[in-house]
Amino acid sequence: MSTYEHAFRCPLANGLHARPASRLADVATRFKSEITLTNERTEAVGNAKSVLALVAMDVRRGDGCRVRIQGADAQPAHAAMREFLSNVMPVCDEPLPAADAEYEVDLPCSLKKVISTVHVGTPVCAGIGQGPVVIVGGLTLPDELASAPAASIDDERRKVRTAAAAVRAALEGRLAARPSEVEAGILRAHLSIVGDVALHDCIDTNIAEGRRSAAFAIVEAGRAFAAQLTAAGSAYIRERAIDVEDICMQLLEHIGGDVGRVGDIKLVGPSVIAADNLTPRQLLSLDKRLVAGLVLGHVGTTSHTVILARSFNIPTITGLSDVRTRLPAGAEVIVDANIGIVIPQITDPVRRYYERERRKYSLRRERFAQYIDPPATTRDGHRIDVAANVATVEELPGAFELGAAGVGLFRTEMLFMDRDEAPSEEEQFSVYAGAARSAGGRDVIFRTLDIGGDKPLRYLNLPDEANPFLGYRGVRIYPDHHDVISSQLRAIIRASALGKVWMMVPMVCSVDEVRWIKTRVAEIHADLKASAVAFDPHMPIGVMVEVPAVAFIVDQLAAEVDFFSIGTNDLMQHFLAVDRTSDRVASLYTPLHPAFLRLLDKIVADVHRHGRWVGMCGEMTRDPRNLPLLIGLGLDEISTAASEIPALKASIAQLSADCCRRTLANAMNARTIAEVDAVLASIHDHDATRRMIEPGLVMLDAETDGKEDAIKQMIDAFFAAGRTDAPIKLEAAVWAREQVCSTGLGHGFAIPHCKTDAINADTIGLIRFRNGIEWQSIDGRPVNCMILLATRAAQQNGTHMQVFSKLARKLMNEDFRNRLLAAPDRDAILSFLTEELGLSAT
Amino acid sequence: MKIIAVTACPTGIAHTYMAAEQLEKTAKSLGHQIKVETQGAMGIENELSLKDIREADIALFAVDIEVEKRERFDGKKIVQIPVKEAIKDPAAVFEKLKM
Repeated sequence: MSTYEHAFRCPLANGLHARPASRLADVATRFKSEITLTNERTEAVGNAKSVLALVAMDVRRGDGCRVRIQGADAQPAHAAMREFLSNVMPVCDEPLPAADAEYEVDLPCSLKKVISTVHVGTPVCAGIGQGPVVIVGGLTLPDELASAPAASIDDERRKVRTAAAAVRAALEGRLAARPSEVEAGILRAHLSIVGDVALHDCIDTNIAEGRRSAAFAIVEAGRAFAAQLTAAGSAYIRERAIDVEDICMQLLEHIGGDVGRVGDIKLVGPSVIAADNLTPRQLLSLDKRLVAGLVLGHVGTTSHTVILARSFNIPTITGLSDVRTRLPAGAEVIVDANIGIVIPQITDPVRRYYERERRKYSLRRERFAQYIDPPATTRDGHRIDVAANVATVEELPGAFELGAAGVGLFRTEMLFMDRDEAPSEEEQFSVYAGAARSAGGRDVIFRTLDIGGDKPLRYLNLPDEANPFLGYRGVRIYPDHHDVISSQLRAIIRASALGKVWMMVPMVCSVDEVRWIKTRVAEIHADLKASAVAFDPHMPIGVMVEVPAVAFIVDQLAAEVDFFSIGTNDLMQHFLAVDRTSDRVASLYTPLHPAFLRLLDKIVADVHRHGRWVGMCGEMTRDPRNLPLLIGLGLDEISTAASEIPALKASIAQLSADCCRRTLANAMNARTIAEVDAVLASIHDHDATRRMIEPGLVMLDAETDGKEDAIKQMIDAFFAAGRTDAPIKLEAAVWAREQVCSTGLGHGFAIPHCKTDAINADTIGLIRFRNGIEWQSIDGRPVNCMILLATRAAQQNGTHMQVFSKLARKLMNEDFRNRLLAAPDRDAILSFLTEELGLSAT
Repeated sequence: MKIIAVTACPTGIAHTYMAAEQLEKTAKSLGHQIKVETQGAMGIENELSLKDIREADIALFAVDIEVEKRERFDGKKIVQIPVKEAIKDPAAVFEKLKM
């Protein structure tokens, strides 16, 4: 038996991480000899055929290493290893993924003053949550597998082998579908783990010596390796622990049992849930009322878990690497998903800051309270329905509490995802019936199954396509999946007996697709009638307008269907030929293209001309800037996220439908996106009836910590009063000016100001402070009276700019200043300023 | 003295006008004649004509940014100060102009 050795120094900039380690292991596994690697710095020795063992050795650049080969084929093995280590490995490294890089976030000045460390992630659902951290996920052994006794050693070994083969086949299948580079990289790393020698040795030992069942053995081995990797120095290696757990979960799935179950987690109070990875089903199983915030590691921003979190309005942040190490279980943290940070330590100043934040948001909500119940109506009496987009029955009561007139889009895909087979008719019926009942007479529009493209379903065996968005999806797949679709149609039609149910079909582009649906519907009607099952024979049937072709055959479709609903996301992609996921063309994905507006105008006009109803349920409804255009179009309904509804109805009340129609006409005549933007921007400029100052913006006898806090207080008041929808941006604009040169003009006054589109209308706010604030003023004296001016545009010859310059001049006058300082109450200040500056009274 | 002045601050909303106000008030109290052009967010107001410039004894720029249409002042004696100074101590500014 010969022994060979080869010494080398690790040349890799990023050390021996998973990718080069799996290449090395690939070479070593070709041979029968025992091959070990020794890291001379740490004296760790590992099996060179195991990726996990290699990675866990934490070999860094410059570390001296030794490969030892012993066995019958040691000589060729040695030659191969030497060749690899000298010639291949030095050049096989690629830059590590950005997992190690922290991303920058610009914290508001006022927040920077009170905190030191934060964890940064991507905010995907705004809001603020506070509570103790509860870690969810990770490798758990489901109860039924834990209690199952081990069969014979051979049986258990066979289970592992079968499971490993199945997982390997699944991974190879996904690789063969030519996924993106990033996903391919993960799949390859997973493949090398599922075949990893050290992992299998460990599992085998647990079975043979520990007398464990296959499931038990896998969990133990998985935990052991994960623990080893978690203890490593680099975040990158710690993240590989997640890969190990992921593979073990997949192995467990093949052995049996519902591995994702989190049924054991009972939340005792409002908690912040932290998980590397959370499936939609896991999220649904938690008591949503107690989920104060959600912090996720690897969940993508467009994933279904995120969509669900948004529909329940849970403040959510994703992309936080190393979640489980960074957020210790039980620690009280704050999740600020308006900015995208998690604050691990709650000091008193932090607590006070966030108490103010919460008060600010609740004041703002109060402002909208009066608009919630009544139907949305413009200043000049034009009515439009505002409905909610939902994905689950649980969201309905909340949506109606926020003023939704109905459900404009009930997404049914959630029922079909994350499972091995389609839901039965009964299961669907109970959901749809529940929704119909919960709506208590309000309309609920169910969208039939919309998959393909970015929402695949394993059990339907959909083909892999180069261009899924233009391919086999929506109504196109229905004829081939007759049974699945018929079950859904039956369930919806039966639910129509219990409320005002409507049904619409996605991705329609021609009359024959509609006729196919109507034939199925007729068949179902006949069948239900024969069995004396109740249903509404006049249930409205409609189509989504997502394919531009529909715009030219509205007349033909109107003869077949009762209504239309515009899905702007897909309609924009198809019409403008833009992939919304592609960074390079992201700026083209906008509804503010004159051609797109003309398209919408034509659709609405044609639908109305043929006596039908038309609503809109796409994301165009979310951006308040688009609202004048939507009103101008004359839509019967807009449907959006429930949380946006109060603000939306409040905004509608401020608009004049007449002005909106003119705005739309101007926008359609514009020649470029920039010109349309300008049309929308100019609306504010002409809104001269909007007061520049109002009672909520004058505060007397206030207390403050300092400059940052003072400015924040004023901006909070602006936000509560609806003067800004972007308080962080506004704060940044004020500070940008303040940092150029202090606005403390002396005599106890400061006049911070800015030019920004973060303010909705030119505004003046005033705060008189009980204590003096250090402001680096011209005369060195502290400031007692702060007046904040915010204006919208650069070039403006409006009366508002003249008001500002008048105010500035008057502040140079001692009398004027004294009057402001001595005024007894808010009303006195308001009437004084109104008179001196010639402000409009309304 | 016959004085012409230009005030201009970065954002053009407040300090431009505060400086103008201070200069006008103080000039009046000291018995000088003054015309102040403001360059602010509303553009150029009270624009100085070539005649105004020709007839003035001295020009004062109370500015933190570039003066627009500066060519008009070619050949004229100019005293330049930061905007802050005009706001803080206008009397001292006029002292400076006398020298």
